Amino acid sequence: MHKGTSTKTWAILMVSPFILCFILFWLAPMFLGVWVSLHNWNLSSGNNGFIGLQNYIDILTPGSLYNEAFMLALKNTLVFVVISVPPLVIIALGLALILDHLPAKLKPVFRTIYFVSYSISVTAVSAIFLWLFNENGGFINNLLVSMGILGKPINWLSEQPYAWVSVLIATVWWTIGFNMMLFINALDEVDPSLYEASDLDGANGFKKFIYITLPQIKHVAFFIIIMTVIASFNLYGQSRLITAGGPEQSTTTLTMSIQNAVFGMNQLGVGSSMAILMGIIMLLVTAAQYFMSYRKKEVN
Amino acid sequence: MKSLKWLVLLIASVLVLGACSGGNGASTKSKDGKIQISFINGFTGGDGAYMKKITDGFNASQDKYEIVESQEKEHYTKYKSGDYDLVVIHGNNLETYRLDGMIQDVGSLYEKAGLKESDFHKAGMDLAKLDGKLYGFPIDIHPLTMFYNKEFVNEAPKTYEDILKLNQELQAKNKDLYALGVPSTGLVEFYMLMIAAQNGVDLKDGNALNFAQPEFADALMTFHDMVWKDKVSPAGLGLDGEFKTFMKEAESGKAVQSAVALTGPWFYGAAKEKYGDNLGIAPIPQIGKQPAAYGNAHMLAVSASVKDEQVKEGIAEFVKYMFTPENLINWADGGQAPVHLKTIEKVTAEQDKYQIAYQNSLQFDSFVAPPQVYQYGEQIRYMNEKVFSKLVTTEKLTKEQLMKELESATKKAQQIAETEPK
Repeated sequence: MHKGTSTKTWAILMVSPFILCFILFWLAPMFLGVWVSLHNWNLSSGNNGFIGLQNYIDILTPGSLYNEAFMLALKNTLVFVVISVPPLVIIALGLALILDHLPAKLKPVFRTIYFVSYSISVTAVSAIFLWLFNENGGFINNLLVSMGILGKPINWLSEQPYAWVSVLIATVWWTIGFNMMLFINALDEVDPSLYEASDLDGANGFKKFIYITLPQIKHVAFFIIIMTVIASFNLYGQSRLITAGGPEQSTTTLTMSIQNAVFGMNQLGVGSSMAILMGIIMLLVTAAQYFMSYRKKEVN
Repeated sequence: MKSLKWLVLLIASVLVLGACSGGNGASTKSKDGKIQISFINGFTGGDGAYMKKITDGFNASQDKYEIVESQEKEHYTKYKSGDYDLVVIHGNNLETYRLDGMIQDVGSLYEKAGLKESDFHKAGMDLAKLDGKLYGFPIDIHPLTMFYNKEFVNEAPKTYEDILKLNQELQAKNKDLYALGVPSTGLVEFYMLMIAAQNGVDLKDGNALNFAQPEFADALMTFHDMVWKDKVSPAGLGLDGEFKTFMKEAESGKAVQSAVALTGPWFYGAAKEKYGDNLGIAPIPQIGKQPAAYGNAHMLAVSASVKDEQVKEGIAEFVKYMFTPENLINWADGGQAPVHLKTIEKVTAEQDKYQIAYQNSLQFDSFVAPPQVYQYGEQIRYMNEKVFSKLVTTEKLTKEQLMKELESATKKAQQIAETEPK
């Protein structure tokens, strides 16, 4: 009863919703974004004509309004990427290793506990950390002062480097569960016979981790690092709601800057150009990571 | 078979697009034949319910028109990208929307609604009138307001000397008690423009804001001195610090409290809930050389896209209904201070009931409007986000360093002003 043509038709039927969604929600917006970035497009007055690469030139010309906003936001975003990626990967791996060694009955309980924070909205997370890090009588300050660790309260949200520390802690608490789950799945895939063989060879826990676990999960780890870098580049909710981009615009990120260019200054064309430039920078960083990893593999 | 494939593709497209689409396009008439007028505002806080009372009241009174109200947090964004007839615009944004061609002259609607300029307080009309034409109906002015805690303050301070004296008394009682709190971010635009007005500094220079004025730097240094020299405010208060400190309870070495808050009237509900009858409200004190109040306002504006005469008639009916003391009093009940004179009379007659509206209406005579420049919010952004924070958190800040920052802020403001549509 098998009919080739019928199968093909069904295949098209099944695939076409995805292709249409892909075109509608990814390809078309991307090309539209590029097209808008080449125009003097104002959110209020609409398209005021094709201007070629002028928006990009304005953003990249030192001293211009958009250049100062973009460069400041880029610098802030890179600071966050640098300080956030190591803890988001290392702590997630640490938690995954601890969970991996728990009794089977306890594993799902702790997996759920650590993952549940990921399901909370950024608004709720920010509200919690605003309360915790409140400078005046906040929970963290009260705790540290009561314990004698601090002589006087710290301005967690309005002084650097504490503002970054607050945003970082909130981000780690909020998103760590996702990376941890990926690591747990990777650890589950490691062949137990490798550990058994290393036990026979007398390897200790550290050596097993270095010579068995890490090489076995390195592809997943590489994927997690790339995804974490991308997520950190997209920092928005936490810095918007916890520090409001301050103190003195030091936690204003690229996404916040783009949002302001479009909805504050009404410059949709400039905002689109900033977004495209941000995408290119993220692409370069990810490609560099991939290249370094690939080259290392080749050398090995 | 080829045509079958295309048919399948078409069906799939329809299914996907059907799932993606939001619904029907907006209709100008309701099911019962009423002409619908879409109205968007940003009243998502406690005041939303009071505006709803007014629109619901109008809808109940009408058999010809219906106001379809949307209260949205990002109402400006929605207004720019959507199709609305009526919009509430802040007084400091009206010029931007006029220059962007997004609102229209409502002079003829005043006539249709039977309203005159003299029906409103001059402070409100100054905001509504741009380039000699009327671009909005002033609903209220929400100036910087003073709350005080009667437990610590017998009489509301009227001058800076009163604040200094109060601070001395409080500090003698408890080192964690201060006269007031100066925030580093949040309502700082109100603080900066208030001190400019109280020192007679005009920031408007052509179509841009000019912050780089030595007189303005001197005026701003008042806030630096309040924190670091006179110490009437604790240092390091962050976002909305003036109100948060007012709401705290002093706890030795852990939490500081202030007896007075110069803040927004929208915090009234929370303050009243905490302090009850101990909450005092008064016009802001004179900190600079002359008395002056500063704040923002809500203006009812009509979209430039409204051409239909029937819709205009409906808007005029709504405006007529809204600017009737019996109806607009709902807005005063929500803590806002209407600028409609007959409603002010009603508020004054029942000043205990409409405490905050009454106290703020007392500030109208000395109210100084925000400078009407294109993209005012963007022109002042650097001051709001960077300069004021530096001013109150840097102990050793000099006037020269401040002037340098003011020059940067002015340069940015001028660059923003250059984006004004020609």
